[in-house]
Amino acid sequence: MSMHEPALLQVKDLDSGYGFLQVLWQVSLHVRRGEFVCLVGPNGAGKSTFLKSVAGLVTPMAGRIEFNGRPVERLPGDKICRLGISYISEELNLFAGMTVQENLAMGAFSIEDRHKAAQTRDFVFELFPALKERRKQLAGTMSGGERKMLAIGRGLMSSPSLLLVDEPSLGLAPQMTAAVFRALKTLKQKGVTILLVEQNVTKTLQATDRGYVLEKGKIVLEGASGDLSRNAHVRKAYLGI
Amino acid sequence: MATATRAEHTLKRMMTGVKSPAGITITASITAGILGALDNGFFVIVNTIVTGGMWALVAMGLALVFGVMNVVSFVHGEFFLIGSLTAYFTFTPFTDYLMDKPHPIPEALLPLLAMLAAVIAGALVGVLCELLVFRPLRKRTREQWVMNSFVITVGLSTFLVNSSQLIFGTDFRGIVAYWNYPTLSFFNVYISFDRFFVFILAMAVLGAFWLFMKSSRFGQAIRAVSQDETGARMVGININVIQTLTLALSSALAALAGACLLFMYPAYPTVGLGPLYNSWFIVILAGMANVAGAAVGAFVVALLQVLTAVYFGEGWEYAVPAACIILVLMIRPSGIFGSEVRGILDQ
Repeated sequence: MSMHEPALLQVKDLDSGYGFLQVLWQVSLHVRRGEFVCLVGPNGAGKSTFLKSVAGLVTPMAGRIEFNGRPVERLPGDKICRLGISYISEELNLFAGMTVQENLAMGAFSIEDRHKAAQTRDFVFELFPALKERRKQLAGTMSGGERKMLAIGRGLMSSPSLLLVDEPSLGLAPQMTAAVFRALKTLKQKGVTILLVEQNVTKTLQATDRGYVLEKGKIVLEGASGDLSRNAHVRKAYLGI
Repeated sequence: MATATRAEHTLKRMMTGVKSPAGITITASITAGILGALDNGFFVIVNTIVTGGMWALVAMGLALVFGVMNVVSFVHGEFFLIGSLTAYFTFTPFTDYLMDKPHPIPEALLPLLAMLAAVIAGALVGVLCELLVFRPLRKRTREQWVMNSFVITVGLSTFLVNSSQLIFGTDFRGIVAYWNYPTLSFFNVYISFDRFFVFILAMAVLGAFWLFMKSSRFGQAIRAVSQDETGARMVGININVIQTLTLALSSALAALAGACLLFMYPAYPTVGLGPLYNSWFIVILAGMANVAGAAVGAFVVALLQVLTAVYFGEGWEYAVPAACIILVLMIRPSGIFGSEVRGILDQ
């Protein structure tokens, strides 16, 4: 993993937002292959907008997004997914009237190879055994934690090379949060590149390699996660020390 | 012991099913149907299932378009018109030819050809509507999509009705029957072969449609889009393709109904109004965007109309269902089969 290898995801001077409302200003960020990177910041800083812009669900106003060296900032969400970026949104966007199994099958919509899809499904069941037990249950009738697991599982079904995860700990009991973080670490060990957006800064900086701090739509700090957790501004504003 | 508790459990589930609004409606409808049949003869039930099957085809398309595209469609009746026109112009020239040179095999297959032509024409017009009307509108609309698309379907309906009047005139273009086969009789009820065949076809199409939606890749994608459009995009589903497919499918179903009922409803510019009203009755009754509910609701509305025609006289068959719908909307605004989970095939 030399420093000269081009990053898997390279974002340069990104401006983005909704209609006339600009949320992100000149955001630059990169994620190298195999890295576990986090983007932290207060509520309303634009973290979700950033992930949605990368995922092709919000069209950027200006700037460049390169994935695997290829410009993708003008591509719609379904094409982005096919290129190998999976986005797990805060709202989860599950298919509430479909079963766990059907949701996972839809996650593999872009995979033509059925055998490969079945293998990935087995891996997801291994990662979240609760999903296997409830595979015939409707997604809309599951608890918050199970729905979160299903969303991550569905995101994995397309065998992405980059996983964008938005606030996985939001609204979860501490035990569930720990389970989700464990799963993310396992995925990192398996070689999946992850960009994580979180409000739970303590846990996030412990788990990740590198981080960015986004405030009012601008990147104000970046560095190795260990350095960030020792940074005076981060300690004061996010860790409450 | 285990089996006993399981039986009890199943019974309990059945009872709660019967007690739900959907259960009450279905039970009441079946009871009304049986009572009506005992009172007037079995034809009540035969008529109900024959017309119900056809309304199911039309109404399902309407529910599908609402569920997947969020379009409150008032152009759906014109797809029925396109079906009946296509079937008429496919069927009659060949019939004239067969009059001179009768042959049993072409005579048996010709109606199927007319229906197939109607399905293809319906699907094509559906695709054109999506590409030329809805997609450009979608690109321009940020808010108020439901209202904008509703107004545009009304305009499209007027346009198609008037174009048909301009091109084909205001003549009634109908046929007496597709097949000159002898009338069938069940339980002392006489039913023409056409009606019988059309019912069987409707059931086969309903079954095939169900299978398509439940287990095919694209059927599942249609359901996924109806449940969560953003989620569908996130898993790599091209929304444009699914919306085109949906409109093609729903207009093909309506066109098929138009072709199948040509012997009852001759093609003329405003022939689509009746089916449009009927399918709106059904869709409101069943709950918007509920395709499975629309299939069941079609039979309920058909029964309501048959019984109305028997007891109140012909001419009241739109008034009574409309009154029932006002009642349903007052008591249960989400429709009888309406559910919290938004999905087109799913409860």
